Amino acid sequence: MGGRLKNALVYTVLILWMLVVVLPLVWTVFNSLRSSLEVTENPFGIPWLFTGLPEKYVDEPAIPAPIDSVQTNYRKAWTDSHFGDFFLNSIIVTSLSLVGILAFGAMAAYALARFQFRGNRVLLLYFISGMMIPAQLVLVPLFFQFTYISEWGSALLEPFGYQLKLHDSHTGLILVYIALSLPFTILVLTGFFKSLPSTLREAGIIDGCGEYRVFWHIMLPLARPGLVTAAILNFLGIWNEYLFALVFLTTEEKKTLPLGLASVSIQAQYKTDYGLMFAGLVIVLIPTLAVYLVLQRQLTRGITVGALKG
Amino acid sequence: MKLKRDQKWFLLVFLSPAFILFTVFAALPTLRALGFSLQKWDGLSEPRWAGLKNFADLFQQSDLFLNALSHNVIIMVFGGGLTLLTSLCFAALIHRRVRGAGLFRVTFFFPNVLSSVAIALLWVLLYSTTEFGVINNGLIALRGGVQGLLDYWGFKITLPDFGLPFPFTESSYLIWSVIPIMVWTATGFYMVLFLAAMENIPETFYEAATLDGASGTAQFFHITLPLIREVLTVGLVFLVIFSLKFFDTIWVMENQWPRKESHVMATLLYQKVFSEYNVGYGSAVAVVLFVLVFLATLVTLRLSRREALEY
Repeated sequence: MGGRLKNALVYTVLILWMLVVVLPLVWTVFNSLRSSLEVTENPFGIPWLFTGLPEKYVDEPAIPAPIDSVQTNYRKAWTDSHFGDFFLNSIIVTSLSLVGILAFGAMAAYALARFQFRGNRVLLLYFISGMMIPAQLVLVPLFFQFTYISEWGSALLEPFGYQLKLHDSHTGLILVYIALSLPFTILVLTGFFKSLPSTLREAGIIDGCGEYRVFWHIMLPLARPGLVTAAILNFLGIWNEYLFALVFLTTEEKKTLPLGLASVSIQAQYKTDYGLMFAGLVIVLIPTLAVYLVLQRQLTRGITVGALKG
Repeated sequence: MKLKRDQKWFLLVFLSPAFILFTVFAALPTLRALGFSLQKWDGLSEPRWAGLKNFADLFQQSDLFLNALSHNVIIMVFGGGLTLLTSLCFAALIHRRVRGAGLFRVTFFFPNVLSSVAIALLWVLLYSTTEFGVINNGLIALRGGVQGLLDYWGFKITLPDFGLPFPFTESSYLIWSVIPIMVWTATGFYMVLFLAAMENIPETFYEAATLDGASGTAQFFHITLPLIREVLTVGLVFLVIFSLKFFDTIWVMENQWPRKESHVMATLLYQKVFSEYNVGYGSAVAVVLFVLVFLATLVTLRLSRREALEY
């Protein structure tokens, strides 16, 4: 086969797959700009928003202007269907989980990587073996455990006027996310801390820093690439997590984005409100897309590092 | 190194948050799940010891579990197999220096960062039998085009209508309909994985092979594939584990109520525990799932520990 023909074939295949991946998303964004009427009449073309209303509808007062349909779709999704709340909830749950994962993960990884003590290896193994636990296995016991952990916790916190509520609350979800993300995070970060020269710590100690300051001011900044990798991978996992959120969150206003999208879509399909459905999809898809485009290099590198080590 | 007193305190402070959280919310529930699977319990009344009855029920009570398991296997073999094929293929194409490799890599990988719920709903819309269902309309147009050509060339053949528009998302076809979704999503991930491994192979290997007159295909099978075997194994385990844990797509596409024709292990587990309050049965499913994941990991670790090729 001629080199040129072969080359053309290679590019055709690659570009075709690119279209298969990208076009459904362009289509989703386009459809979120259409009214339900337009979705059924003009599902594949350029939205009327850009081309203008077709002749036959121009003088029709019952047909809204395209720009109004866009507003209707997104207002319905954001306000009436609580996507605004879902978005905020996702941000709260994800950011608090990430803070916990990185803080506790880095602390434990540092202690395990830089200090020799009895049981060090066993403890590391204990944490890392957690990577094999499927979410489905711990799901059911956690559901029942939440009840009495809440009781104990509330009894403990009562003198301070607090209550611990794990069922149908972000607290419970965050604690589970942290616990189940620790194994992978500790694995990655232990590797990082081990690769840092031990003389750094000794120099810090000699200069009169305590162990805490050595960790905070010397080790943590040096481990930043590892922290970034762990943060990105955990962010995507938690932002998109569905199963635990499904079990632990029941109130509509507390739901995270994937969960909210799933419940709204059932109503939207029932009412054949396609505009709402597509707008909801766009609201869920765009943030991860944006994060991905910004961090894509670190992400793919992190994944290969994680996979080759794990 | 002998630890000083304040260092002991330091270690205690640094290790206990992770230890407590992991123990309470991961390790203990794992043990309790094993306990649950040996009990008969509706979640409210006093649990009763059941021994291995729950596990026997999985296989004897009805064919629900074996059905679900067979669906996981279908997803593993066809979804996983196709994903492996496409990702290896694209990785090999891009590895041999195409222009715009970065662009292809970024776009192919991109579905992996999207929420699986959003992807499932997107495909519900793509599969739709209504005016805007892209796939059905595409197939109808394709059939019309072929029919037109046949007529134009003067063949007296009428094509059957192939049942179009086809109800892809109906329970009885769903297991097969999720396979394209899996391939669409996962191909980019495995491509990036394999490509990273391929880029570690020294260029001199290929130069030498080219001098010896080996074709591109021969080079792929005799240099590239053997040298990325370890990463290939890792990819294989990931795919097996992923297929065993499969949940979100089915759950969402079935509007949270899968039927016998569409259940996989994880959806069956969920329904048994949270809708039918049969905690023992559901936990037995979870334990089987865990054992299978564990075995898959073990087998692969075993395989990849064989002599790694040095280069």
